[in-house]
Amino acid sequence: MSTAIEVCGLTMSYAGRRVLDGVDFEVKTGEVFCLLGPNGAGKTTTVEILEGFRQRTGGTVSVLGMDPRAQSARLRERIGIVLQECGFPRQARVAELIDSWRAYYRNPRDLEDLLKVVELARDRNVQVRRLSGGQRRRLDLALALAGDPDLIFLDEPTTGFDPESRRRCWTAIENLRTLGKTIVLTTHYLDEAERLADRVAILQGGRIEVAGTVRHVARQARVKTKIKFAAPERVLDGSLAPPRCLDVVLSGEVAVCQTENSATALRELLGWAAANDLGDLDDLSVETPTLEDAYLQLVTGGTN
Amino acid sequence: MFTFALPLALLLLIGSTTATGYLPGTHVEGQMIFVPSIIAFGVIVAAYVNLGTKLATLRHDGVLKRIRTTPLPASAYLSGVLASTAATTLAITASIVAIGAFAFHAVPRAGGLPELAGGLALGVLCFGSLGLALSSVASSAESASPIANASYLPLAIMSGIFDPTFAIPHWLSAVVGLFPVRALAQILQQGYTPVAHAPLTDLLVLLTWTAAGCGFAAWRFKWH
Repeated sequence: MSTAIEVCGLTMSYAGRRVLDGVDFEVKTGEVFCLLGPNGAGKTTTVEILEGFRQRTGGTVSVLGMDPRAQSARLRERIGIVLQECGFPRQARVAELIDSWRAYYRNPRDLEDLLKVVELARDRNVQVRRLSGGQRRRLDLALALAGDPDLIFLDEPTTGFDPESRRRCWTAIENLRTLGKTIVLTTHYLDEAERLADRVAILQGGRIEVAGTVRHVARQARVKTKIKFAAPERVLDGSLAPPRCLDVVLSGEVAVCQTENSATALRELLGWAAANDLGDLDDLSVETPTLEDAYLQLVTGGTN
Repeated sequence: MFTFALPLALLLLIGSTTATGYLPGTHVEGQMIFVPSIIAFGVIVAAYVNLGTKLATLRHDGVLKRIRTTPLPASAYLSGVLASTAATTLAITASIVAIGAFAFHAVPRAGGLPELAGGLALGVLCFGSLGLALSSVASSAESASPIANASYLPLAIMSGIFDPTFAIPHWLSAVVGLFPVRALAQILQQGYTPVAHAPLTDLLVLLTWTAAGCGFAAWRFKWH
């Protein structure tokens, strides 16, 4: 698999203050890559450098094989950018606007196709100012796709949306992935990153704290898997102790076992249940760590 | 639409009441001054007021920011905007010339084409660049229109755009002469009737303001 973006030792200073302090990561062609991090960590700066809007202080950056600042005009032919809070001309209609945007590119994508990808085919003659927030966001997406880009930047695509609009926006983004587009996403919603991203990177204090698949990030964050089951009566009344080698805590009537190795812990637990005649453990569940658990662990040093 | 309506309405309204007969103490007919003055007014409305408020609105709505994400070069976009302004101006001018000829028998003089064409081109460039500057000064789309009107209307009145006989004190006239409104009007008036003005001074005033407008826009123009 080839590389769409390569960032090496990227630094950026504003008025002597260092915002990016040696950022390294790469994005492979065709993947959805999500940049996460607390406010002020440098996400926007990083993305603006990749898009060619900002001149970096140091380091090397290659986007689709180009230097984004030196070759910004050529690069814009091949990337699509969805910015936060970007408006539309007031009187425009959906299809009209998309069509006028297609004229800015040398090899535009077919209009009908664009309408279909973002699910706005039925709203093609609607005035832009009559669209809902979710529809406007999908129109944003259509305009970013007008030049049939290989790489798309999405900045907080679903901020402030209701669940239904978020879901439709996600579907549109997933449609893009099936077209083979590379997508760089920034978001504050960890469930969004978890659902859409193949790989995530967490930016903190001007550096990449960790990058990889959600599983990898969770392992790096050393977030434990939780095994839960209904605590048997003998455990509740204290006459039977849970297996000593496991970290089991009672939370009401639920026993929670935190472990880094869920297979071993499960074997241990089931062996213990069989040896003590507890039969099947009721309501047994294994909760693998979510991205949110890992993120909080890494960014705030763990709150739970 | 308003850009069209305003100059044409003023042409008909004022023209039908005052702008006929010889100007006091001269052999110049009022309409020969008044009609080209309204052409200058049309240029100002289209290139300065309309362009300035339009760009301020597009910036406020984030449309300019979005255009920056496309491969379209900034210079190409701004030239396009200026070209469409020039086309609007040309259409307004054509309407004013036609109405002036039919309704008030004011026809450009033979050999007056260089002054008319040159005045129009320079006028669009000068007031277009000032429109760019205006859109950079206005902090919001809503403030662009009042700023535009407050800046050119008093000058237009004192420059005698709406009434060729409008009299102001000498010192004020000297001050008004430093601004591009009367300069443009006088150049265009030359296209209708040879009057004793100082065309070189007018040209210099327009060029200076064009340079100032371009300079200011280059310095302060923002895409977001």
